Amino acid sequence: MVTGAVSAMAANQAERLKEDGNSCFKKERFGAAIDAYTEAITLSPKVPVYWTNRALCHMKRKDWTRVEEDCRKAIHLDHNSVKAHYMLGLALLQRQEYADGVKQLQRALDLGRCANPTGYMVEEIWEELAKAKYMEWELVSATRSWELNSLKETCEAALNHQRALDMSRTEESSEESYYSHTERLKALDRVFEKAAEDDKPTEVPDYLCCNITLEIFRDPVISPSGVTYERAAILEHINKVGKFDPITREKLDPSKLVPNLAIKEAVAAYLEKHVWAYKVGC
Amino acid sequence: MTTSSPSTRKGLTKIATNRLQKEFMEWQTNPPGGFNHRVSDNLQRWIIEVNGAPGTLYANETYQLQVEFPEHYPMEAPQVIFQQPAPLHPHIYSNGHICLDVLYDSWSPAMRLSSICLSILSMLSSSAVKQRPKDNDHYLKNCKNGRSPKETRWRFHDDKV
Repeated sequence: MVTGAVSAMAANQAERLKEDGNSCFKKERFGAAIDAYTEAITLSPKVPVYWTNRALCHMKRKDWTRVEEDCRKAIHLDHNSVKAHYMLGLALLQRQEYADGVKQLQRALDLGRCANPTGYMVEEIWEELAKAKYMEWELVSATRSWELNSLKETCEAALNHQRALDMSRTEESSEESYYSHTERLKALDRVFEKAAEDDKPTEVPDYLCCNITLEIFRDPVISPSGVTYERAAILEHINKVGKFDPITREKLDPSKLVPNLAIKEAVAAYLEKHVWAYKVGC
Repeated sequence: MTTSSPSTRKGLTKIATNRLQKEFMEWQTNPPGGFNHRVSDNLQRWIIEVNGAPGTLYANETYQLQVEFPEHYPMEAPQVIFQQPAPLHPHIYSNGHICLDVLYDSWSPAMRLSSICLSILSMLSSSAVKQRPKDNDHYLKNCKNGRSPKETRWRFHDDKV
């Protein structure tokens, strides 16, 4: 009984400290906020929010090592914490841990969409994820294109060498052998062009883009008329413009929108292969 | 991307900016026939040249459309008016305002500026007479101080022209 009462008092005290921390945070007094959250954690170490709030303060001060520590602790206490996965992802990206960082952001995005599909967090997480993917692609594709180029040069040199050998053997350069040599060089060009294709930014196909945002789908939903839209955009349309399908103009109630999983998978497959399409804006 | 996108004026939301950049690029690669986007560095205000279609009353004539995109584009329609001199047409007022449903009540965010342009061109092409709307003087009186046509309560009674 006595220990129960004591721990309840500690929990109350910790909550008050969290409130203090929050008000310091609002005034951008991050040091004081960290102190308050630290005291709260000492009193009740099992509340994940204290850890994520302190992590956010560390993030404001760009103290990424501490961000990572606090987020890992918070995830340990609550596997479904959107903020913890999000900030951990950002901390890992700071350390150039792209693969793990992206994985954390993806997890945060999935969890965030379950909790509040049109919240600002989801938008923010998606943008960070897209930025990270694009940066990673820039690095990887530069290396890839360098490798391809040097391989192509080697192949061309080998073909030219072969041709020189053939010519010295027959002692006469027939038109025919010249022709087949240039044909081979052309074929080589085609092969390498094909290999570099996926890394060449072009237009995302229209069927993977929303008719309102004109951008590649993130969270596609399908209307009863069979048209697919970006969830946030179609909901904004229903709120601001009216309850009708923007393309067919049929009546449209927000409750009738369902996720279009097939398109979502198609987008994921496309992005996997054409990572440059993560680029936001132009 | 090597195309130079025009700089953004303050006031457009992020979704509006992204979408306008996309539409701008689309115009550059594939503009609707009969239209030219006059180069400017303003993403929010476009000037577009319209060439009357051959074989219509407006053949060999060129007019300028002025397009202003609102902050919440495409949830709101763009404001589209003809610059002076506006074509003589039963649905175009002498101040350049255009009586066309898709610019007002019938706007939908799935439309683009290019689809608006095609509607305007088809409106011009189908005209049988070159004259001002019957209520032109009355309308102008109610439209002082550069009021936007989007504030007019339009009645789209005539579908023929």
